[in-house]
Amino acid sequence: MAELDIAVQVAEASQIGLKALGAALSVGLTGIATAIAEMSIGSAAVGATAENKDVFGLVLLLTVIPETIVIFGLVVSLLMLF
Amino acid sequence: MAEVSSGPVPYVYVCTRMRVRKSKLIPREDYLRLLNMGLPEITRFIEETEYKKEIDELAPSFQGIDLVELALSWNLAKEYQQIQKITPGTLKEFTRSYLRRWDIQNVLTILRGKTQGMSAGKIREVLVPAGELDRVFLDRLIKEETPARIVEALKGHFVYPVISQGLDEALEKESFARIENELYKQFYEELLAEARSGFRGGKQFLEYILLDIDFTNIRNMFRLRKDYRDEDYRSMVVPGGTFSAEEFQHLISTGDQKEFIGVLKEKVRLKPLIAMLDMLEGEKSLREIEIELIKVQLSHMESLSKLNPFSIHPILTYLEKKKYEIFNLRAIARGKDVSLPVERIRSYLVM
Repeated sequence: MAELDIAVQVAEASQIGLKALGAALSVGLTGIATAIAEMSIGSAAVGATAENKDVFGLVLLLTVIPETIVIFGLVVSLLMLF
Repeated sequence: MAEVSSGPVPYVYVCTRMRVRKSKLIPREDYLRLLNMGLPEITRFIEETEYKKEIDELAPSFQGIDLVELALSWNLAKEYQQIQKITPGTLKEFTRSYLRRWDIQNVLTILRGKTQGMSAGKIREVLVPAGELDRVFLDRLIKEETPARIVEALKGHFVYPVISQGLDEALEKESFARIENELYKQFYEELLAEARSGFRGGKQFLEYILLDIDFTNIRNMFRLRKDYRDEDYRSMVVPGGTFSAEEFQHLISTGDQKEFIGVLKEKVRLKPLIAMLDMLEGEKSLREIEIELIKVQLSHMESLSKLNPFSIHPILTYLEKKKYEIFNLRAIARGKDVSLPVERIRSYLVM
C-alpha cells in the first residue's frame, strides 16, 4: 500500500514538473522567435527613421507586431499552469 | 577587411536607408515639369529638394548655372561620402572600391582641363570628390602648374603607374583616351579580384561588375562602330565580361547594323537587353542608344536589388540612380542656360 502511495506521489510530481517545463519552453521559445523577428524589423525601422523621422510611429507599430508570438506563448503557458 | 560579426542587422539597416533615399529621388513627372521652367525656377526647385543645404551654402558666392553645377557636384560627393560612412563591413570595402572610378574621372578631368587651359574654378565645378582623393587633395592637384607635376603629386596612388607611363604619349597626341581606357581596365580588374577573393557578399558584387563590364563593352562597341576606322580595337575591350577581345573586334568591324545586332543578341542573355536590341533595328542616334542602354542597366540593377534585398545591390542601385539624377539636373540646367529646345534636352535625360 505504501509503495502504491509513493508511486502516485511520484507520478503527480512528474506531471507538475512536466507542465512547468512545457510552460517554460512555450514562453522561452516564443521569446526567442520574437527576438529573431524583431531583429530585422527593428534595424530596418531604425534605418527608415534615420532617413525620414515622420515614419517613426508607423515603424514602431510594425516593430512590435512580432510581440504577439510571445504573447501566444505566455497564454499557452498560463493555460498549462492554471 | 573586417568581417561583420553582428549578423544581418547592419545590412538590413543600411539597405533600408538606401531604399528610403531612392524613394526620395526626383520622379519622372518632376523632370517633365523642370523642362518647362527657366534657370532661376530650376534653382528654386532644386533648393526645395535634397539640395537645399548646398544651394544655401553656395548662393552668396555663385549664381546661375555655376551655382547649380557646383551644388549638384557637392551634393553628389557628400552623399557618396556619407554612404561610405554608414555601410558596414565588407559592403564598405566594396562601396569604396566602386567609388574609386570617381578618382579616375577627377584626375582625368584635371589633366584635360589643365592641358586645355581652363581656369581652376571651372575645373573645380565639375569635380566630384567621392573617391579616395578628397577635395583638399584635388585642390592641390588643380594648383599644380604642369600635367607632369600633377602626375608627380599622385605618386603612391593607384592611378599613378598607368598615368606616368602614358603621359608623354597623351600630351603629344593631345588625347587622354588611351590612359582613360587603361585606367578603367585596371579598375575593373581590381574590382573582379576583390569580388572573387571570397569575402562575404562577393558573389553579388561580382554579378554587378560583370553586368557593368558588359554594358561598358556594348556601349564602346556602338561608339566605335559609329566612328569606325580599319584599326585594331582589341586593346579597348574591358576583359572579364561576356565579350573576348576577338569577339569585340569582330563585332565592331561587322558592317551591317542588323547583322551586328543579331550577333550581339546571340551573345547576351539578359532578356530586357535583348528586347531593347530588338527595338534598335530601326535608325536611332548614338545618344538615344546610350540612354536606352543605361535604362536597361538600371532596371536590371533594380531587379537584382529586389532579388538580393540585403546585399551590395540596393546600395549600388541607389548610387547609380543618384548619379543619373545629378546628370539629368545638370543636363536640364545647362540646356536651359544655352536655350536649347525642350525636346533636345529631353533626349539627354535618363528617366
